[in-house]
Amino acid sequence: MSGDGAASALQRLAAHGGDGFPHLIAARERTDAGLAALRARFAAARAIGGEAALPAGAWAGGALPADAAVVLFGSWGRGELTQGSDDDWLLLVDGPPRDGLDAAVAAVAGVLGGERAGPGPQGSFGTAAFGRDLVEHIGLEDDDNRNLTQRMLLMLESVPVVGDDVHRAVWQQILDRYLSESRTDRRPPRFFLNDVMRYWRTIAVDFAGKHRETDAKWGLRNAKLRTSRKMLFAGGLVPILRCHALKHADAAAFLARQLALPATDRVADAFLAAGQHDAGVRCLGAYDRWTGMLGDPAVRDELSALDRETASASPTFREVRRLAAELQNGLLALLFETPLAPAFREYAIF
Amino acid sequence: MMPLSALNETRPLLAHHPIGASTGFMADERGDWPALVDAAAELSPFTAELAALSELELPGLLAYLLSAGDELPAFRYLSVHAPSKGLKLAEPKLVDSLQRLPATVDAIVVHPDVIDDPGEYRRLGARLVIENMDTRKGAGRTADELAPLLAELPDAGLCLDVAHARDVDASMDGAHALLDRFADRLRHLHVSSLDDAGHHVPLTVEDEAAFGPVLRRCRDVPWILEAPLSA
Repeated sequence: MSGDGAASALQRLAAHGGDGFPHLIAARERTDAGLAALRARFAAARAIGGEAALPAGAWAGGALPADAAVVLFGSWGRGELTQGSDDDWLLLVDGPPRDGLDAAVAAVAGVLGGERAGPGPQGSFGTAAFGRDLVEHIGLEDDDNRNLTQRMLLMLESVPVVGDDVHRAVWQQILDRYLSESRTDRRPPRFFLNDVMRYWRTIAVDFAGKHRETDAKWGLRNAKLRTSRKMLFAGGLVPILRCHALKHADAAAFLARQLALPATDRVADAFLAAGQHDAGVRCLGAYDRWTGMLGDPAVRDELSALDRETASASPTFREVRRLAAELQNGLLALLFETPLAPAFREYAIF
Repeated sequence: MMPLSALNETRPLLAHHPIGASTGFMADERGDWPALVDAAAELSPFTAELAALSELELPGLLAYLLSAGDELPAFRYLSVHAPSKGLKLAEPKLVDSLQRLPATVDAIVVHPDVIDDPGEYRRLGARLVIENMDTRKGAGRTADELAPLLAELPDAGLCLDVAHARDVDASMDGAHALLDRFADRLRHLHVSSLDDAGHHVPLTVEDEAAFGPVLRRCRDVPWILEAPLSA
């Protein structure tokens, strides 16, 4: 059921379409090359003790702890890097919260440099995060917006550039925590499902909250909500629902395999498994064209300048809206008009 | 006709979303666009096709859509069927009118035999949707016949009229060939049966069975009924 094999699920689905998914395939290659370059840069920085480009003494003396990983999120994690992508990152520590990491955080920021826009002002990224918070604070007051965001993106669209073992260990602890509530065969893990659905609704509500007072960057954020954020959500929702066909003992390994793939592979794999090749080609094809648009600086600038009043007059925004509708229609067909439909009806609403 | 969402129990193949109606079969209200839109929205608030099949109908539809504002139901997918009869306007003027359709219109369906200069229609961009024809027409019926036109209109999509496709090839191989060739350009379907004169009539049980494998390849796009469903 997974996308294992020489060709990715996205590539196998592309074989059923006319043009393939050129923008997505190129973005994956760009992401792989970018990750290799960043890994080399971190390796070089550690080898020379950080003296060349880092704050004095930041890297020397083991400023990056052995129990820490440098993890990238967003388009890096989805394998969809474009020219305008941000560097959202965390120094992920496998353990309880502790002080004394300022130098390490500064060192990571220094190595990542200023080639791309850094983390946004919300404070969810560009800082240290601690595995214990992410694993143990699921729900209730301590699971604030930042903790929820960090946990969900770690599970659904993250990639390490330093500390692969640490990243994997924290990721596995969170998955184990979600699955600890599930003991029944052929039933999706509800705890995980509810958290993924909560996160999607949180994104949507927060979008409205952000723009209650200002419409700055409304067009670009709205476009991403309709597309990239929706792909992130579907990339979590679909594999979890597919557990309805599995024995409990097999669900953990299935989710581990699936969630290690980019979201577009998880969705493509589900279309292939459902025999809905044509719908999958249209759905991922629309997302491919959106990815191509997002890589065009002029498009990003135009979308960024649009507010809700001016958006509908923009042919660019209308094209995004059309592609987003094709993406959504494909996902809805996957959820409601394939063998996934009973599981969605049974578990996804109540 | 009952609201389309109630069809699931009796006609499981049509348990699809979104499914809506063309105003083309609503002869009693012809020309009364508010009434036609209201009737279409009553059948399905999610999708509809406003059919200005005669060029004489287009000015009224255009005026209605440009002035409707918030009175227009918030269809998730709204198409307009461009005129295919009574064509008097010069092609650039006709395309001018189609281009003025407001942004609430997602798709503009055009018959391939109406197009003399594809360059004019390129102005409609991705809203342009080309429909496959039946045997009454001499071109635009098959994948091979549509390929050159769609190559000249790279942003245009395909509206698959399944009844037309069966009229051309009762085995439905031709419909599958259209999907094989243009799957990534499919935007929506026209669903009905045809009478002996080629008019759209309610979907027959025989056609519904014959269409099944094709419809199952199109689960993600809007389906537009071009004739009322029989009870």
